Amino acid sequence: MPFLFWIKTASLFLVRSRRSTAVLILMIFSAVSTLIFLASLAVGINDAMIRNSVSLYSGHISGFNLPVNVRIKSLFTDGVSNVLMRIPVPGVVSYSGKMAAVTLIAVDPVEEKKSTAVWKKIIKGKYLEPGKNQILLSKSVAEQLNAGPGETIVFSPDHDSPPVQLALTGIYNTGIYQLDRDIAFCQIAALPSKAAYWNAAIFLNDAADKDLILAGYNKAYLKKSLFKTWSDLMPDLKQLIDLNYISMSIVMVLVFGVVSLGIACAFSIFILKNIREYGIMKAMGVSPYETLLLIFSEVILLNLTASFMGIIGGIAAVLMFQKTGIDLSVYTSHNQYFIVSGVIFPRLTAYSVWLAPCLALVFSVFAAIWPATLVIRTNTSRILRSI
Amino acid sequence: MARNARYQDKYLQNFKEHLKELISINCISKAYRTGRGKVQALSDISLFVETGMTLTIMGKSGSGKTTLLNCIGGLEGPDTGSVECFGVDIHALSNRDLSLFQRRNMGFVFQYGNLLSYLTVFENIAFPLILNGFRNKEKERRVSELLDKMELSDAARAMPNELSGGEAQRVAFARAIAHSPGMLLADEPTASLDTETGNKLVKLMLTMGKDEKCTIIISTHDQEIIKLSSKSSYIKDGKMKGPENE
Repeated sequence: MPFLFWIKTASLFLVRSRRSTAVLILMIFSAVSTLIFLASLAVGINDAMIRNSVSLYSGHISGFNLPVNVRIKSLFTDGVSNVLMRIPVPGVVSYSGKMAAVTLIAVDPVEEKKSTAVWKKIIKGKYLEPGKNQILLSKSVAEQLNAGPGETIVFSPDHDSPPVQLALTGIYNTGIYQLDRDIAFCQIAALPSKAAYWNAAIFLNDAADKDLILAGYNKAYLKKSLFKTWSDLMPDLKQLIDLNYISMSIVMVLVFGVVSLGIACAFSIFILKNIREYGIMKAMGVSPYETLLLIFSEVILLNLTASFMGIIGGIAAVLMFQKTGIDLSVYTSHNQYFIVSGVIFPRLTAYSVWLAPCLALVFSVFAAIWPATLVIRTNTSRILRSI
Repeated sequence: MARNARYQDKYLQNFKEHLKELISINCISKAYRTGRGKVQALSDISLFVETGMTLTIMGKSGSGKTTLLNCIGGLEGPDTGSVECFGVDIHALSNRDLSLFQRRNMGFVFQYGNLLSYLTVFENIAFPLILNGFRNKEKERRVSELLDKMELSDAARAMPNELSGGEAQRVAFARAIAHSPGMLLADEPTASLDTETGNKLVKLMLTMGKDEKCTIIISTHDQEIIKLSSKSSYIKDGKMKGPENE
């Protein structure tokens, strides 16, 4: 018996039982499109946490102890959007007889503003200006020195270099412990002596594979330097993101499990509504296997149609918010992983697009097992008598 | 001795050939369990119907006519006894083989709700032809021929709910004989029709059944049908009361 005949018969059944088909399609369509949007939102939340965490300061990959002969340009590979040079110099800052131990980090203020967000966290004064001998202190260091913007701070490096005088241009507070304790910034030209080593903050494009780029760096510089990705440097964030994916997957399975109960009932009614047709077919010599083939073709065809529409609907909803984003700042303002911005940009991935339709198909097929078995096992004469 | 054995072999061979042309119902019984207890629907019924013959089974409502037809058609199995159609004990077949046997050798016309409601008249009649592997051209020719004979050519694209009762039964009959089965089972085919339409349908069934060399078994209350059939039996409380006219 040609397989296509059963597919054609199944599609005729679906097309000609308009209302029942429309109701089932609507159920699956709304479930699939909603879950695609929710999954994309979960991906967007993870993206936002990563973006916030790396764009505040560290970058996607951090390079440590790079010799001065390694040029910034050489770190620009495919997928890298920016590389920032940071030269850490340990020492002491002093003002009006008060002192504090700090790591002064020399940066390029123009490039820093392009890729990082420390400049957005200024609570007093201004960010570093290019070409000026200025210093930017964290709130805790400024409080230790009891200094404010406009004062002159003396920085004495740990090594033999002479002390330098720097104008305090601003005070920042990021809310991240590691950045707010014992750190100060100045621009590279203001350093008292030339450094032998530098650190790099490497920023990647959205689609770039950080592990691939890391492997490239390790191959080229591993003997002299150390490169780490954000997931190595922020294992807590990595765990949170993994947890978010797992919990979202569990939620989707549970939500679809519950939705599938409704779908199962609707499928049962849909199949049992047609039991008369299956009874007549059985009397005409349609075998149990062919009856199963017909029922499952109906279920699968209906599901594929509804899921396809659901994918289109879900993608459309994601695209609507992909550019503008959804501003959840009210709910994220005290969260360290949303330190820069609380705007979530839902993003489509293979995970967010395919998980819901695959679940819909699996649950629908499971939902059809009971009514299909009932049709197969019920005596033909009993079915026909019930007409 | 040898001559005797040869004679016996020949006799057995003839008997087997003869069996292939018979529908043989051997001592079948069937009981149902209902809320009112055990109901004996059929009791020890035996029947022989030869190829091309028309058998009418008469009986009141609840006498066991439908159960008997269902047992003959393999739609339900008897508790005891056997049904042999063209030399095949149909209740000894597997589900799949029974389905294959039904699709090749049987056609059914039921009292109500005969047609597949999602298929057009044309598709309904073509259904058994597709099941039996008819090619497209052959299928279209056969369906058109049957529609002409049933005077339903203009209803080929109609849906079953657009047909009158008589038209629906004619389509059901056309579908039942489309693949030229050896046997047609009709369970009170005229019950839902007025007398005139019913008589017309039965006459059509009998004429076309004869043309198609099809054995027809009809269950009915209708005395008119008995006059048109070649053999009839009467069933009461699940027991065969013998032929009324042969």
